[in-house]
Amino acid sequence: MSVEPAAPPTLSGLSRSTVGQGLYAMAAVVAVICAATVRTDGYVANILMQAVTYAIAVCGLSVVLGLCGQINLAQAAFFALGAYAVGLGTVDYDIPFFICLAGGMGVAFAAGGLLGLSTLRLGGHYLAMVTISFQQILTVVLINAIQITNGPDGVSGIKRPDLFASSQAYLALAVAALAITGYLVWRLAGTRLGRAMRAVRDNEIAASAAGVDVYRTKVAAFAICALLGGLGGGLFAGGFAYVSPDQFAFSDSIVFLTMALLGGVASPVGSTIGTGLLILIPEWLRFLKSVPGLYLAIYGLAVILIVVFMADGIWGFIARLFRRPAIAPSSPIAPLVLKPADSGAPAALEVRGLAKYFGGLKAVDGVDFTVRRGAVHALIGPNGSGKTTTLNVVSGLYRPTAGRIFVDGVDVTALSAHKRTIAGLGRTFQNIRLFRSMTALENVVIGAERGGNTQVGRGHPTLQERARAALDFVGLGARSDDLVTRFSYGHQRLIEIARALASNPTVLLLDEPAAGLNSSEKKSLHDLLERIAAQGLTILIIDHDMTLVAGVAQHLTVLNFGRRIADGDTLDVLRQPDVIAAYLGAE
Amino acid sequence: MGTILQLLFTGLGIGAVYALVALGFVLIFRATSVVNFAQGEFSMVAAYLMVVFAVDLGWPYWLSFLLAIGGMALLGAVFNLGVYYPLRNRTFLPVIISTIGASIFLSNTVLALYGPQPQVLPGWFDTPGIQLGPVYLDSQYLLIIAVTIVLVAFQYWFFEHTLLGKKLQATSQDKEMAALLGIPVATMIMITFVYSAVLGGIAGILVAPVLFVSIQMGSTIALKAFAATIIGGFGDVAGAIVGGLALGVIETFGAAYISVPFKDAFAFLVLILFLAFRPQGLFGERVAEKA
Amino acid sequence: MDFTRRSVTTGLALGVAMPALLRHALGQSASIKIGMVLPVTGPAADSGKYALTGAKIALDRVNKAGGILSRQVELVTEDDQTTNPGAVLAFSKLAAQSDIVAFLGSIRSTQNHAMAPDILKTAKPVCFGGTDPALTKLGNPWLFRFRPNDSYSGRVIAAYGAETLGKKNWAIVHSTDAFGTGGAKALTEALGKAGAKIALDQGYPNQSQDFTPVVLAIKSSGADVIGSYFTFDNDLAIFARQLRQLGVTIPWVGSPSIIVAGAVKLAGPALYGTYGVADYAVDASPESKEFAKLYGAVSNVAPDNYSSWTYDAIGVLCAAIAKAGDTDPDKVRAAILSTEGYKGAEGEYNFDQFGDGLHGYNIVRNEKGLIVFDKHIEFTD
Repeated sequence: MSVEPAAPPTLSGLSRSTVGQGLYAMAAVVAVICAATVRTDGYVANILMQAVTYAIAVCGLSVVLGLCGQINLAQAAFFALGAYAVGLGTVDYDIPFFICLAGGMGVAFAAGGLLGLSTLRLGGHYLAMVTISFQQILTVVLINAIQITNGPDGVSGIKRPDLFASSQAYLALAVAALAITGYLVWRLAGTRLGRAMRAVRDNEIAASAAGVDVYRTKVAAFAICALLGGLGGGLFAGGFAYVSPDQFAFSDSIVFLTMALLGGVASPVGSTIGTGLLILIPEWLRFLKSVPGLYLAIYGLAVILIVVFMADGIWGFIARLFRRPAIAPSSPIAPLVLKPADSGAPAALEVRGLAKYFGGLKAVDGVDFTVRRGAVHALIGPNGSGKTTTLNVVSGLYRPTAGRIFVDGVDVTALSAHKRTIAGLGRTFQNIRLFRSMTALENVVIGAERGGNTQVGRGHPTLQERARAALDFVGLGARSDDLVTRFSYGHQRLIEIARALASNPTVLLLDEPAAGLNSSEKKSLHDLLERIAAQGLTILIIDHDMTLVAGVAQHLTVLNFGRRIADGDTLDVLRQPDVIAAYLGAE
Repeated sequence: MGTILQLLFTGLGIGAVYALVALGFVLIFRATSVVNFAQGEFSMVAAYLMVVFAVDLGWPYWLSFLLAIGGMALLGAVFNLGVYYPLRNRTFLPVIISTIGASIFLSNTVLALYGPQPQVLPGWFDTPGIQLGPVYLDSQYLLIIAVTIVLVAFQYWFFEHTLLGKKLQATSQDKEMAALLGIPVATMIMITFVYSAVLGGIAGILVAPVLFVSIQMGSTIALKAFAATIIGGFGDVAGAIVGGLALGVIETFGAAYISVPFKDAFAFLVLILFLAFRPQGLFGERVAEKA
Repeated sequence: MDFTRRSVTTGLALGVAMPALLRHALGQSASIKIGMVLPVTGPAADSGKYALTGAKIALDRVNKAGGILSRQVELVTEDDQTTNPGAVLAFSKLAAQSDIVAFLGSIRSTQNHAMAPDILKTAKPVCFGGTDPALTKLGNPWLFRFRPNDSYSGRVIAAYGAETLGKKNWAIVHSTDAFGTGGAKALTEALGKAGAKIALDQGYPNQSQDFTPVVLAIKSSGADVIGSYFTFDNDLAIFARQLRQLGVTIPWVGSPSIIVAGAVKLAGPALYGTYGVADYAVDASPESKEFAKLYGAVSNVAPDNYSSWTYDAIGVLCAAIAKAGDTDPDKVRAAILSTEGYKGAEGEYNFDQFGDGLHGYNIVRNEKGLIVFDKHIEFTD
């Protein structure tokens, strides 16, 4: 592995992002000035107005869809909430524009939050359905609640703020709003919330195992998306001075979604490009109008082609062409310090009477074991004996049918997975669960970010230091800025372990860490586990490799058919006849 | 009593249409984990094919029907190759967008080729309906209900009692496992698309004499069929049928006794209630817990 | 230095002025352009086709007679996609072409509402067909209506049903869109004045697949006449068929959509014997007969109000430009407002101060699929 000499990572990272921000600010200022001064005809002005206000709403989608991976088919409904707040507020109640705009954003935010709270526990397609339903119901209400909404006639004569009464000034205001929105969305990705969203998008289970509250993160993403929908809608209402229910139908939500996906979901720049293109393509094709439907048919075809040939949208496609090679760190990395919490309870982990039934199948049936503080403890058994299920119940992925679990003397049975992580459990997975769109460092930073991690101070730099130290500890310090997908299988396992270590857990749960490793990798895994144990961290390991298990574990618990058949010192247990029988019988 | 029976009959009739389209949704969803937003357009295209063959060219109804169904099978195959297959290894989002693009493409292509006027497609029977006591039974709705029953029976037999059906089931449950067992997964998915297109086509042809043939006919039905799919529990064939019928009945009675203008909201209100209190649908979705 | 700067300035001025000068020089022979916003795609695409045909027939007539101000007249069209934002973009695209002197707007009221701010900015006459009475009361001086507004259709339905047919117990069925609710409101008011009772006021959402509950409600309401405002042909046809299937045979007086060609074709016998108010009826006048003849020559469907209003709008507009002797918007506007007794296909145009050209409706009857003129009801207030 060659290490290129380069500037200290923090400094180069800083300067790179500063340059980016400077460029962005300049572009934004130029765009606002152009909008305010360059005279255009009404057609171009209308296209720009539509594109800019839509783009703000699409930026919202880039948060919920791009960062958090959740679908929203009701963005037009949130857009409508903002638009109607401004429309009805300024026309019927004579409330100043900006108060209406803020009110509309608030209503959209609340609606998005509530919708999310009620349904985000269900994922993917269900969310699609609920958002479609919300969209349809809102449309029906806008049409039929005539006393409040003016019904299908819509609201006309919508006012703009006095300062921005002219089209040019108003367009400049909208462009400025887009620029600020875009900036915030862009920077969001690098915040704690943004990282949590990306973790949820890449792998929900791993995210909760890393201490991320998956549900709250999704609700937050959804509410932010709705908020931006409301902002876009409010500005749209002022821009066109007229709103009616048919402008905010389901088909418009689909248009928003298509805009987000075409441009590239993960970036506000992509959102803007997608929006612009989707408004412009039908306009460019207008010359084909002599055959009704032809140009929309071509547009539909273009949508398919772009999705097929540009996986990450247009901006993703462009960005890949210009991606710079990652800069390897060369500054000295501090050694990793593991300081597992110790409340004085004798056992680091205690499992009592644990049971998990799937329908009639008793996968785990009344298992007890105690993991002593500072010990390496192995849970073994033939295939289907209930090892992984036990680990999943302990880490909170499954609810136990019966039994209690204590971490460091605290009963965690009622806690959800991410809360158990915060309580001190760290784990890896049998089938590797990394955040696949991120670098090794970003993966480990999310681990380091665990609530209750006493080993990191406030702020991003110390998180990065901790993450680099953890990667260095597992021997991958030099490649921390590579995407995880570029690592070998064995190295991906190490990154997972580093992610858990960075969180400074009280107990580390390892689910078949040696699976799929070659013999030299197994050897270094063995060494790694010994180095971890040397720092006093308690380990519970599941593995089939008896050489590894016998080499590192002082204590064994053996399961068969969901029941404990042996428990004790490693050497004693391995001599027990029923353990041998269970293994030979299985193999 | 007459009123209630009449509403029940119409509700079941319209519900059977939702059910047929929902069935197409469910099959594709089970095979590919993707919601096909162009499912409604399958119905629309088939209805237009019928208009071309049976009305414009004046060919016999049965021949036109067979040709239209053949056309739909072809469309299903092309759809799979052009819209789904290139994206099969990506997440469900790009596929959804791709099907949305296909939906825009199909409806506007038909518009470009056939023009915007709604068309009339005669029904299978010459008698429009029969009066049975206080209830008028529209012959086309009777046919729709009958065909739905037959198709459901066929589907049950096909999936449970034929090798091909079992292979399809295996594919929809676990693609990797199916591939390991030597089942040609790509072919199975191709068959699913073809069959779904045919199902959607049959629904479109059946409903065309009642709702007329227009560019929008598909999307209106598809949205409701979608809701029916959820009510039935996504990915469940029996659920889609019951969900569709239930939705038709709920809508009709809701319109009669609560409000006609809010009729379209009932479907979605019921849907939200289901998601909030019984997310597994009427029959429950087979959820495999995997870590 | 000085020299250079002056030559640059002159050059610049020439460069800027040249196209305008050229245009001016060629202007006399160039055609007069009229912009038209119409649905080519979306749910109303079929009506857009009719509208275009009507406008083209009128245009041909004018051009064959030598054009106006000895120039040919040309139509520039844009698709509104049957949506409001689409209409706004289509109109502003046309408005950006400075040589367009006047426009044909939409037959849909909400689209005209949506375009209204841009129309005000463009400050050129826009002829439209939307029937929401509020449109000509917005204080926008550039809007001219070429169909009788809904207050008249409501009054005509009420007058015919309550007085001519003598039915006093009404069931009103209307779409919940802008057109349907507006019409139902006007009909309710007019019925109140005529002393009739409203047994049922039933809205329905567009693209309903089933009207059984509505029909059963009409049956149980005991109404002896139906007044209707339907928007889409297929909804109307489904309703008509279910109405007949469930045995309702009371008289039915509908808004213009009941006699448009598409609905008559789709519904077939289910609409036989119904009455409709029509801005256009073939046998209403010699002018309407002439339009039917011209339309029949280029189309195989019968003409209806989708095509007659654009036909009349082009006719009135060209007459007004000829009268003004100029294409200056203010002069054309004044000429349209002063139009009196123009005999169009839809009736006699007498513009009031608000920009409403027509103040009455025809009543027609569906005789086994043929639309037969019954009488014309005109209001002077």
